Amino acid sequence: MKSIDVVEIETGQTREMRFTQEPHSPLKMASRRQASNIRGPRSALTDFLASNNISAAQIRDDYDRRVADAARQAANEEEDADVDMEEPEYEPTPEPDSPDDKAKKRKRQQAIEKIKKSKEFARRKARRVGEPDDDDDALANEMADERERPVPGQLENCEVCGKRFTVTPYSKAGPNGGLLCAECSKKHVDGDNKKAPPKKRTPGIRRRQNQADLLDGLVSQGAQSLLETCIKKVAENISDVEEFGDLPPPVMHRLSQILARRRAITSTTLDLFLRPQNKEIDIYDCAKLGTDDYHKILATMPNLTRLNLRFVTPMKDRIFQYMMDRDMNIQDLHLDSPNLVTDEVWRELFTRLGPRLRSLKLWNLDSAFDDETAEVMAKNCTNLQRLKLKHLNKIGDKALEAISTMKTLEHLSLYISQETTPEPLLQIITELGSNLRSLSLEEFYFADDRLLELIREKCRRLTKLRLAINAEFTDKALANLFHEWPNPPLTFADFHRVRDVDMANPGGPPEPVGLASNSFIALMEHSGARLQSLNVASCRHISHAAYETVFGEHKRYPELKFLDISFNGVVDDYLAQCIFRCCPALTRIVVFGCFKIRDVKVPRGVAVIGTVGAKLTIDGITQKELV
Amino acid sequence: MADPTTSEFVTLVSCDGFEFIIPRSAACISGTIRRMLDPASKFSEALSGRCVLENLTGIVLEKVCEYFMYNEKHKDQANVPDMEIPAELCLELLMAADYLDT
Repeated sequence: MKSIDVVEIETGQTREMRFTQEPHSPLKMASRRQASNIRGPRSALTDFLASNNISAAQIRDDYDRRVADAARQAANEEEDADVDMEEPEYEPTPEPDSPDDKAKKRKRQQAIEKIKKSKEFARRKARRVGEPDDDDDALANEMADERERPVPGQLENCEVCGKRFTVTPYSKAGPNGGLLCAECSKKHVDGDNKKAPPKKRTPGIRRRQNQADLLDGLVSQGAQSLLETCIKKVAENISDVEEFGDLPPPVMHRLSQILARRRAITSTTLDLFLRPQNKEIDIYDCAKLGTDDYHKILATMPNLTRLNLRFVTPMKDRIFQYMMDRDMNIQDLHLDSPNLVTDEVWRELFTRLGPRLRSLKLWNLDSAFDDETAEVMAKNCTNLQRLKLKHLNKIGDKALEAISTMKTLEHLSLYISQETTPEPLLQIITELGSNLRSLSLEEFYFADDRLLELIREKCRRLTKLRLAINAEFTDKALANLFHEWPNPPLTFADFHRVRDVDMANPGGPPEPVGLASNSFIALMEHSGARLQSLNVASCRHISHAAYETVFGEHKRYPELKFLDISFNGVVDDYLAQCIFRCCPALTRIVVFGCFKIRDVKVPRGVAVIGTVGAKLTIDGITQKELV
Repeated sequence: MADPTTSEFVTLVSCDGFEFIIPRSAACISGTIRRMLDPASKFSEALSGRCVLENLTGIVLEKVCEYFMYNEKHKDQANVPDMEIPAELCLELLMAADYLDT
C-alpha cells in the first residue's frame, strides 16, 4: 500500500513540475527572441515564419522537449514498480523551486484529509456502494489526483501514448491517474464500459419522472409496448433518419406527435413526413417551419385532403392562394394561429373551396377572421359537418347567428373571446340541435337556463356535451335537463367551472347555481352507464351526500375512464375509495385542491393526479409525497 | 414429446432460418403471434407450435424475443425502464413491432 502511495505522489509531483514549467516558457522564448541579435544565414522560410511571429527555433525546442517528455514518461512507466523517494535522474531540467518531498507528502496528506471530509467525497462514496469499504483511501487519492491535474487549455502528454494534446474538461484520466488524449480516452472508455457494473438507481431519482408520467396519464405497469419504445427511440435519433420507408400512417402520426412535443420538427424532419401518395398530414408544431415549408407540403402532396397544422405562425396569404390555384381537394382544414392570413383571403378561400370542406377547426386567431368572414364561411361551407372555433378574438354575436344557418353541422365547438348575448346561442340550438352529435360551449357567461331547456327539447343525438365556465345555469334547470331526457346517455360530459362565484358568499346562494348536488345526481343517472369522461372541476356546490349517492355501494360506472373532480373540496378518503369501487375502468382521476384526500389505496392502473402530501398506497406499496 | 398445441414453449423462425424457442406466454404478448398460435384457429402454426416469420430477419427477431422476455420479466412491476434498443435497429424493429402488434 505504501509503495503505491509513493508512486502516486511521484507522478503527481512530476506533473506539477511540468505544470509550473509551462507558464514560464513563453517568457523564456520572448527573452531568447530579443537576445538573438546575431544571426547566421537564414532561409526564406525562416524569414517568412519570423514575419508571422513564428520562430523555427521555438518549434524545434518544443519538439525536443516533447520527445524528451515522451521518453521520460515511457521510462517512468517501466520503472513504476520500484520508484524510490529520490528525484528521478532522467529529469532533464531539475526544478529549482521544487519543494522537498516530505513537505510535499505532508501537504498531500492534508489535502486528502480535507477531501475525505468534503461533501463531494461523501457523494462519490455513496455512489460506490457495493464496493469494499477500505477503498476510502483510494477514492480520496483519486480525487486528489483530479485536483492536481492541469486545467483545461493546458498542454499535457498523454499517459498511454505519450502524445502531446490540449487538456479539455472532457479529458479522461488514465489507469495511473494521468490524463489521456482524445484517442486513447476513447479506447479506454470502451474498455471501461464493458467492465463497469450497471449504475445503481437511488429510489429518489425517478420520482420526478414518475410525477411527469402521471401528469401525462401514463401509469406504468410492466414494460411499455415494443412499438411505443421503438417510436420513442426513432424520435430520439430523428436526426440520423434518412427516410421512414413505408411506415404505416398511425405510426407516422404518433411519431409526428412525439416530435412535436419535443419541438423537433424542422424543415429537415418535415421532409420525412412528406409523401406524395398520402392524403393526410398532421404536424402539431410548425413553429420552426417557414413559409416555404408550407409550400413544400402542398407541392409535394397534391392529393391532400386533410391539412392539420398547429402553431403555423409564418403561414401567409400566398399559401392559401396556392391552395386555391391548384384547386386542392382539402376537406379537413385544421389550423392553429394562422394570423398572417388576411380576411380577404379567408373569404376567397371559403368562396372557392368552401363547399368541399367537411371539417374546419381554427384556434387562436386575433388579427383576422371577423364576423363578416364568418358569414362568408357560413354561406359557402355547405357541407361542413364539424366546426371548431377556439379563442377567436374578432367574432361575436353576428358570427354565431351565421353559424346557426349551417344546417349540416353535426359537431360544434365554440370558445370565442368576445362577450355575447344568449339569443344567438338559442338560435343555434333551435336550428341545429336536432342534428348535433357533439356540442361544446365554453365561456358563454350569459347563456342561461333557456339554453338548457332548448337542449333538452331539441337534442336527441348528443354523445358529447360540454357546457363550461358559466355562472348562470341553475342547479334546478340542469337537473331538469338530465331528468328523463330522451337523448341517449352521453359518453363525454364536461361541466367544469359551472358554479356561482361570489367572494362575499362562498357558500353560494340558497337556490344553488351551477352544477350542484341535484344536477350531478341527475347527470349520473342519465349518463352513468355509458359515460367515459366526466369533468366537474370547480363545481364546488356538489355536496358530500350527493357524492355518496352517486358513488353508492351498488352503483357502477363501467366505462368511466377519466374523472376530474378538482376543487371539489368535499371529496375525502372515504369518497375516493367509493369512486374507485364504482369505476372499475378508471385510468385517471384529477384531484387538484381536494385536500381531504390524505390516505387512499389506489387500484392498479389508476393515475391519481394532484394530491398534495397525501399517502397513496399502490399495490400495497406506500408512496408518501413530499410537500 | 408433448402436444405442440399446448406445450409450454413455441418456436419462432426468422426468414433467414434462425430459430428462437421461447415460452408461449412470452410470445403471446404479440397479438399477431397469439392469433397464429390460437388452437381454435387451426392454423398450421397453432398445430405445430412453430411460427415462421418471413418478414423478420434473425437480428430483428432476436431483439423481438429479447423484448418478449423483458416484458415477461417485468410484467408486474411499476415504472419499468424502456428496453435498450440499438439506434440502427430501431426502424426495422418499429416495422416488426407494428406487424407483430406488440
